[in-house]
Amino acid sequence: MPFTEAIAIAIASLRSNKLRSLLTVLGILIGVSSVIAVVAITEGLDAYIAERVLELGSQSFTVQKFPDVITSREQWLEMQKRKDLNLRDLQAVRDACDACAEVGGMLTTRRDAKYGRITQENVVVMGVTENATRIGTMREITTGRSLIDDDIDRGSAVAVIGSDVADAFFPNMEPLGKEFQVDGHALRVIGVVEKKGTVFGNSQDNFMWVPISYFQKMYGNRRSVDIMVQARSMDTFEKAQDQARVVMRNRRHLGFNKPDDFSVETGESVLELWQNATRGIYVVTVVVTGISLIVGGVVVMNIMLVSVTERIREIGVRKALGARRRDILRQFLVESVILSLFGGLLGLVGAAVFSWGLATVLGNIMSTTFTAPVRVWAVLLALFVSTLVGLVAGIYPAGRAAALDPVVALRNE
Amino acid sequence: MSGLSTTVVDAAPVAAASGPLIRAEDLWRTYIMGAEEIHALRGVSFTIDPGEYVAIMGPSGSGKSTLMNLIGCLDSPSRGNYVLRGKMVSQMGDDELAEIRNREIGFVFQTFNLLPRASALHNVELPMVYAGVPKEERLARARRSLEMVDLGDRVTHKPNELSGGQRQRVAVARALVMGPSILLADEPTGNLDTATGEEIMRLFEKLNGDGHTIILVTHEKDIADHAHRTIHIRDGKIESDEPRVR
Repeated sequence: MPFTEAIAIAIASLRSNKLRSLLTVLGILIGVSSVIAVVAITEGLDAYIAERVLELGSQSFTVQKFPDVITSREQWLEMQKRKDLNLRDLQAVRDACDACAEVGGMLTTRRDAKYGRITQENVVVMGVTENATRIGTMREITTGRSLIDDDIDRGSAVAVIGSDVADAFFPNMEPLGKEFQVDGHALRVIGVVEKKGTVFGNSQDNFMWVPISYFQKMYGNRRSVDIMVQARSMDTFEKAQDQARVVMRNRRHLGFNKPDDFSVETGESVLELWQNATRGIYVVTVVVTGISLIVGGVVVMNIMLVSVTERIREIGVRKALGARRRDILRQFLVESVILSLFGGLLGLVGAAVFSWGLATVLGNIMSTTFTAPVRVWAVLLALFVSTLVGLVAGIYPAGRAAALDPVVALRNE
Repeated sequence: MSGLSTTVVDAAPVAAASGPLIRAEDLWRTYIMGAEEIHALRGVSFTIDPGEYVAIMGPSGSGKSTLMNLIGCLDSPSRGNYVLRGKMVSQMGDDELAEIRNREIGFVFQTFNLLPRASALHNVELPMVYAGVPKEERLARARRSLEMVDLGDRVTHKPNELSGGQRQRVAVARALVMGPSILLADEPTGNLDTATGEEIMRLFEKLNGDGHTIILVTHEKDIADHAHRTIHIRDGKIESDEPRVR
């Protein structure tokens, strides 16, 4: 019997049991759509993160006491023994690094800020040097001016604020010259920074810059300074890191066989961390999907057994008319494969809808356009896997059908 | 019915060059039920020549169904030889038997056994599907076969849209479409009223007149009397085997 016949028979049989066929493939549908959707979403997130990290400035890095990523308690304890970085370290790097375009310092904390009766919570207070706007992400001042050397030298109580702070405190007025409070210190607004939006739902605009010298007046000078460096170009990025590292090692008299007792962090370390995390998501997804496909396969097998039982008589008739074992085997295998392939196709549609929906929701949350592309390889994999599930699930029922004794099958009521 | 002789052409039986169509020698069929052996057939021998019209009669439990299954190549004897058109069927495997059934045997069942969701045409096509006949030829032959049983205007009807007699005629068309050596009918009128039953029997008569070998399995004497020879089975043995007494 040619395949086209088997396919026609299978489709007719599945069509005569539409609801049952649909319910049967639900497991495969969910398995396939979840794997494709998760792959699409993580790819979308990867692209988004990579873009954001690159935006952070691929030419900038920081020298800091702690690494961005601490993976164990032991490491954390070890890190505690590290010496703080201070403004003299900053000056030394600035003096010795000719591959560095800008070397700045930064101290950070989160505080509530008050203006009259208005409180803006959890504002990122950054004590910075005057070159803060020229390191890493370039940000424009929309109103007023940026910090200047004079502010730093004098330790003036002035602040350049992010748009969230400006919107909260001065919705209908000119913010410049107004004074607000942070931990009992009055800070005068000298500038407002352009709005940037959110990343993963975190606002990038709830911050203020104050002179690093004034920050130390507010919170003391016992905090470790992060040294922010902007390299002259992409080509000198590595060189700048090396130079900064050499300066720091010299200042700390580290032997050649000793590891750094400070951390040099670039955007790439964040990216790497993220990619490790998504790899984990991939693995979990594959396992979960594998389980749901196994369950889906068992359901298909079960329904195929029912289908064989219901059609014992038909099988008897077909055998009486000359169907060989392999004809019957093929008929039911094809039916099983078509059934689960149908589930796979529905799963593809589900995945497309699901990833589109999720991308839209995520895009709204993050106020950005966000794409979750359904990849060709994911589609092919889904179809291949559902075919495989159909084959495996169909073998036993189809084998039983093929092995039926025609005399017994014809006698079946 | 005038067009009959032309429409039958490709369904006409091929007579064996010489010798009987069926030679059954000492057929035994034994079933093992737990520790007990049940002999459904105990040494049955007969021959049937091409073109014969034979009825196999017997009460239920006599072994006539078992004999029919052996003649129809649905089952193999436990002992003895069954030779069909010179071929030793009793030693064939499943797939070879399927091929013999496909080419040599045309079944007509008491309950018609049509595929309920398929049209008359598709039902008649079915044996040719398993024979690997190309689609175009299948459709043409199935149509001719249906015309032969006067159902040329019912080809697209499904079984539940046909009367009992029409269903049985579809089954006959299906049985004949491969041009088999034997038309094997198992209580073909059992599910039909008397008038319709007579109609089917007249069709058989005509087919036999055209040269088809017909074996009729029944327990009704009225029906068996249509045949030209009657084999009586009782307790797994042939009780009598004689031509119709007119």
